Formats: sequence, structure tokens, C-alpha cells
Amino acid sequence: MLIMWRRAGESFIAGDAEILVLDARADRVKLGITAPESCVIVRREARITEQQNISAALSADASTIETLLRRFSG
Amino acid sequence: MPNVQTRFFGDLEYESEALFRFPSGLPGFEDRRNFVFLKKPGLEPMMFLQSLDTRSLCFILLPVRAIDENFQLELTHDEVREIGLPAGRTPVIGEDILCAALICASEGICAGEGDVPTANLMAPVVVNLHNNIGMQVIRAESSYSHRHPVLPAEAHSPC
Repeated sequence: MLIMWRRAGESFIAGDAEILVLDARADRVKLGITAPESCVIVRREARITEQQNISAALSADASTIETLLRRFSG
Repeated sequence: MPNVQTRFFGDLEYESEALFRFPSGLPGFEDRRNFVFLKKPGLEPMMFLQSLDTRSLCFILLPVRAIDENFQLELTHDEVREIGLPAGRTPVIGEDILCAALICASEGICAGEGDVPTANLMAPVVVNLHNNIGMQVIRAESSYSHRHPVLPAEAHSPC
């Protein structure tokens, strides 16, 4: 992992994207991202949720219902 | 009564109270906005979130409190507004809102160790029971896992 220190007002370049630190506080930072439209930018937790939702939809089948039924019927 | 084609239960008639709208959809399925909540005798506490538009799209859910009886939900002002809850009052799970987690189960895709189904407690589905509007509430700094193993309550008791 590349680690660097930045102050508010400083930026860095990642590929075709520029990430600017707009504000830095004790518990969070505010970032401004300039990138080509083709560059998809999404919060990590939103991407995880999207992947989990797709997996949940794919894995929803009769055997899953059976498994859960066994678990809750003790 | 209107009719819905379901993935697991054939064609069903449904009451308008069972129809729920997700104005933002669910991540990965943003264009599916209308769902029917199904419960079946003998299959509880499982719930099924069946897409009204796509028969093959049906999520299996469990109420968060069936997975973790101490589950705590905090909603932001934006989330409260999106689903039309009154501001400044903590909604009660089971009375004002339904709060349930999507279940993942297939071995190799998303299940936990030993093929244990997992629940996404990091991002529960929350619906306002007063107006039937819902959303998936995604937490960044959640103390809850997106792959929480679903074990029966009995597994935690000493005998």
C-alpha cells in the first residue's frame, strides 16, 4: 500500500483521476475527485453491497430456503 | 386483486398493503423499484422480496432481530427523509419500520465457512410501514458485517 501525507488543499493523481483534499478533520476528510466519465467512482461500502445483492439474488433458491428452514426450526 | 408472478410460489394475488416502492432501487438493481413482500406459513421468520417486474428476481431476507436480537439501527436525516419518516423521532422496528437483511447462501459465491448462509447486516433493507417506501441503508463505519453467519438462536445457548 502506498502511503502519503496530504494537507487540505493538496492533491494527488491516480491514473487519470486527481483527488484533492478539500478539508481534513479529526474523524473524516472531504475529498474532491476530478476524473474522466469512464472512471467509475463509488464508495467502498456501496460496491460491497452491490456485489452482495447480486450474489444474494443468484443464490436465492429452494435449497437456500431449505437450509434456512433447518436452521430456524432447530 | 392484482397478480404477481413469483420465483418460488407461482402466480399470487397480493393486497396493496404488500406492495413496496424503493425509489432508488437496490444497489445492483437500481431500475427495479416495485417489490412485494411475501411471508409464507411454515417458512417464517424468512421473508421474500419479490420484484413485481422481474419474476426471477426474489431476495430472501431475515428480520435483523431474528439474526441479532440486539441489532441497533441509526438512520441519517437524509435516510429518514427518503422513506418519509417523521423527523426527530426514533422509528421503532416492527411498528414504524421493517428492518431485514438480505441472505446469501450458495457455496462458493458468498456463504460463510461450512456453507453457512450469511446476512448483510451492514446494509439492511428498511421500509416505512406507514407509507410502504423502502431503501437499502448502507453503513460505512458499521460494526455489523456484510457477511454475518446466520446461526440459529439455539446455537448460542449453553445447551
